[in-house]
Amino acid sequence: MPRFVRHLLITLVPVVVVFAILPSVYSNHLLLFNFIICMTLAQGLNVIYGFTGYLPFGYVGFFGAGAYGFSLTVMHLQAPPLAALAVAAAAAVVLALILTPLFRLSGAYFSIANLAAALALLQVVSNPNLEEITKGPYGISLSVFDPTLSYAAALAILAATIALVIYLRNSHFGMALKAIREDPISAGMAGINVVRERIIAWLLSALIAGLAGGVFAWYVSVFYPETVFSVEFTIFAIVFVLFGGSATVTGPILGAVILYGIYNAVGISTPQYFQLIYGALIMGLVMFLPNGIVSLLQRWGIDVP
Amino acid sequence: MVRLSIFAALLASVTATAQAADAPAEIKLGTLYASAGRYASISLPVHYGLKLWIDQQNAEGGVYVKAFDKKIPLKLIAYDDQSNTATAATLYNQLITQDKVDILISDSGSVLTSVAVPIARDHKMFLFDQTGTGATFFTPDNPYIALMADPVSSIWPKPLADFLTHDGPGLGIKRVAILYATNDFTGTQAAAVRKFIKESNSGVEIVYDQGVPTETSNYTVLLNNIRASNPDAVVHLGYAANDIAFLRNVQDSGIKFKFLFCIYPGTENELLEKNLGNGPLNYVFTYVTSSQMSYQTNFGMPLKEFREAWDKKYGDAKVEFGFNSVAGYTTALVLEKTLATATSLDQLELRKAVFAQSGNLKTLDGTFELDPTGAQIGESTPLGQLVLDGDHLKLVTIWPHELANGKPIYPRP
Amino acid sequence: MLVYSLLAGLLFGLYFALIGLGLNLVFGVMRIVNLAHGDFLMLGAFLAFWLFTLFALNPVVTVAIAFVGFMIVGLPLYYLLVPRLLRAKDPEMLSFILFFGLSQVIEAVTTIAFGITERSIPGDQLGRALAAAASVFAGHPVEPGPVELFGQTFPAAWVASSIASGGAVLLVYLYLYQTRLGYLTRAVMDNRDEAIATGIDVHRVSAIAFGIGIGRAAVAGVFAPFILGSITPAMGAEVTITAFAVIVIGSLGNPLGTVLGGIIYGVSYMLMQSYYSSWANLLPYVLLVAILLVRPSGLLGRRVRNA
Repeated sequence: MPRFVRHLLITLVPVVVVFAILPSVYSNHLLLFNFIICMTLAQGLNVIYGFTGYLPFGYVGFFGAGAYGFSLTVMHLQAPPLAALAVAAAAAVVLALILTPLFRLSGAYFSIANLAAALALLQVVSNPNLEEITKGPYGISLSVFDPTLSYAAALAILAATIALVIYLRNSHFGMALKAIREDPISAGMAGINVVRERIIAWLLSALIAGLAGGVFAWYVSVFYPETVFSVEFTIFAIVFVLFGGSATVTGPILGAVILYGIYNAVGISTPQYFQLIYGALIMGLVMFLPNGIVSLLQRWGIDVP
Repeated sequence: MVRLSIFAALLASVTATAQAADAPAEIKLGTLYASAGRYASISLPVHYGLKLWIDQQNAEGGVYVKAFDKKIPLKLIAYDDQSNTATAATLYNQLITQDKVDILISDSGSVLTSVAVPIARDHKMFLFDQTGTGATFFTPDNPYIALMADPVSSIWPKPLADFLTHDGPGLGIKRVAILYATNDFTGTQAAAVRKFIKESNSGVEIVYDQGVPTETSNYTVLLNNIRASNPDAVVHLGYAANDIAFLRNVQDSGIKFKFLFCIYPGTENELLEKNLGNGPLNYVFTYVTSSQMSYQTNFGMPLKEFREAWDKKYGDAKVEFGFNSVAGYTTALVLEKTLATATSLDQLELRKAVFAQSGNLKTLDGTFELDPTGAQIGESTPLGQLVLDGDHLKLVTIWPHELANGKPIYPRP
Repeated sequence: MLVYSLLAGLLFGLYFALIGLGLNLVFGVMRIVNLAHGDFLMLGAFLAFWLFTLFALNPVVTVAIAFVGFMIVGLPLYYLLVPRLLRAKDPEMLSFILFFGLSQVIEAVTTIAFGITERSIPGDQLGRALAAAASVFAGHPVEPGPVELFGQTFPAAWVASSIASGGAVLLVYLYLYQTRLGYLTRAVMDNRDEAIATGIDVHRVSAIAFGIGIGRAAVAGVFAPFILGSITPAMGAEVTITAFAVIVIGSLGNPLGTVLGGIIYGVSYMLMQSYYSSWANLLPYVLLVAILLVRPSGLLGRRVRNA
């Protein structure tokens, strides 16, 4: 059986099936929905960080752009939700295109610039002078509210995202990206079009976050700018990927399920301690296990998707 | 005869047991609070006020529930949303779908309440909105909400605007400057002030009208600009942190505005006095909230008793006593009355019972009065002025005249 | 209005230059992005608050205590965290994440210990100290209170912190150009590998630089309650980003550049607040991105960071 089919069966199918069945047995659907969003964002970040080594600390900017793209389309054009989702994706991709010059910078500079860009977008969107268009700081309240359909859409987006990462893991394109991450100069000499491949990965990553943002707006229908531009989303995505293991398929999924699960179990009752635990966890991971849990498994010889 | 009475007694005991058998072992109250983040300082006091009532009731065996004609203990299920709206939404959902609470009570403030409104409505649960005053929450097509302890923000500033437009011209107030933080709460108050002034045709004009981000903590340049517009009265509408920074900057710059209004010196006066001392607060106009005013009550503890109970229970905690503590207790009193009136725990029945209190319930927060959409139009807060008396600040009520116990000091010396 | 904004921007900007100086040193020497810088600043602010509340200690005295104290804390912290990091494959990114984790830990611990309510120190504390100093120089008693400059009045705290910033820049120059340790530091800043090759104990130099860096952050923190308003454990994050904007605008490694960056930031922020107040918070981010795209080496720098 080809490797990627095996990967599909081990990772994609169980996740989708589980999250499709769970709503009928566990009634806090919003929590399940949040799990799906977390996993989607983690995989999206995985595409850019795991495969190219760039860490967009303002990743939530695409999420917010998607959420607002969706909302503005629904509010001003009275568009049906599925069309609005397409606009959400487009909004995120446009933002990513605008930010491509940032690739000239390296490492930390890129991350900070990206963070600044996301925060700048937040300030623009929440400005009261733009209240007519974006409702400014007073928040959005949408009339399209369809928890079942939006949940299904989210699940579909997650499935597509995981499929994409599986493809990356098993294709030439993915290998090219990893080569670029290790050593761009040698990769260039080997004939890889460094700039183009990197931009494609960047746009894909943004697309994922944009779709996630759009479907989030659809599901919750009431939110403030700070909600969808909250740096918490980026933090979660980064920690999940780090914890699980970057450049793999299961890493971010594992990371999201375990850590977000702990967050909801522990964090709800003692959130301050939770911030402490997360912070300490990040520090510990970076110092002792920078390649995540999956790397432990790989060290023992298991071929993890 | 005897047989009839025995029969009647048997029948009564059977129905009583049947009713008692239907009664739940406890009434589950679900709510959220913020222990950290931007809204913690207005959320924790509300939460503590509610908890005080719950502990009081449980010490006496529970709250009286008319639907089952007995006292049932209260169980509080409360989660911490950390001032984060997304977390709050998940938690509200959890309370309704997992914990299956009987009564849903919102967190404090418009922002943290806003996410509850559609969730409550969707699950057909009546939302006891404690202090979320955003006017958009109350629409004719949503019966599942009512505002408990604050006047709705579109009419809250009316005493301030009325004073400026009625008494103002006589005192020489013609030019008003408005500085507000751009968020649901203060933004809508600013809009209301603007509207009342414009509609009053009193000759009072607005010479400065600016919104700044809620995170603003430095007003030095803004103050200079306000001063340049030469106002007779300055109105600052922000949250507690904004008021603290604003008043401090006013003092540091040496500027003395003839009339200065801020919200939180009245609402959370202990917090502000702790951070600013008496100097910056002297001559400041503010709302006289129920934590500063002793209303005549026909139900529940009046202010003095509540303060004593609070100090006894929370004296050493890190939570300030202020208007928000009263707000939590007010919600509790409405709840108590509701449970004592409603014929069942069905959510629309509860709604009927809540609305039945409108106009009849007088608590330490004032008169509870709702309009048909559930917005609070009672419990209004008069305008007052803080004046230094010896070494502590006294709050003198200025407007409306029927409640006034002093004259305004204008312009400030 | 314009003159006021310019002058206020100057004073305000000098304060941010003070914040940026510490960050600049750390990044210049170790190439490590200290995302926890703002949180050390917050700790300094709380130190000033508690020393004032408990012992009525004037914040000016706390400045010295903060600097020494945090320097002492910084040294072991460096040895604990950094050497391990430098052995990894991608130290720059990982350091970014590591210090981010540290910032979360500091914020969480402080919130647990002190609670979330806003704290502040009365503004006249700095005013009194300034007046006392001014009295010495002027030869006659000076009243504490707002200071007059070019016909405009400013809070005494702003003037005091500008003086402190000026002093800090001076000290940095003295350290870097007049002391042997500073000489070694500059060598490491220039080229780390060559410095190792020449036998310089890079770790020791870096640890001291780190200690000075966070000592500076704490000193800036002492002034924070006066410039920024009330302090809470969560204030660190935004300060860090603004500090980055400032040092990037100015250019890495050059203390004068940080001062320039601070002034540019301060003046533009105040001008925005005067004329377009609701857009004022947008400014640092736009400046940061613009500078990085147009002139990544900063306004005064020659070193270029390219992918």
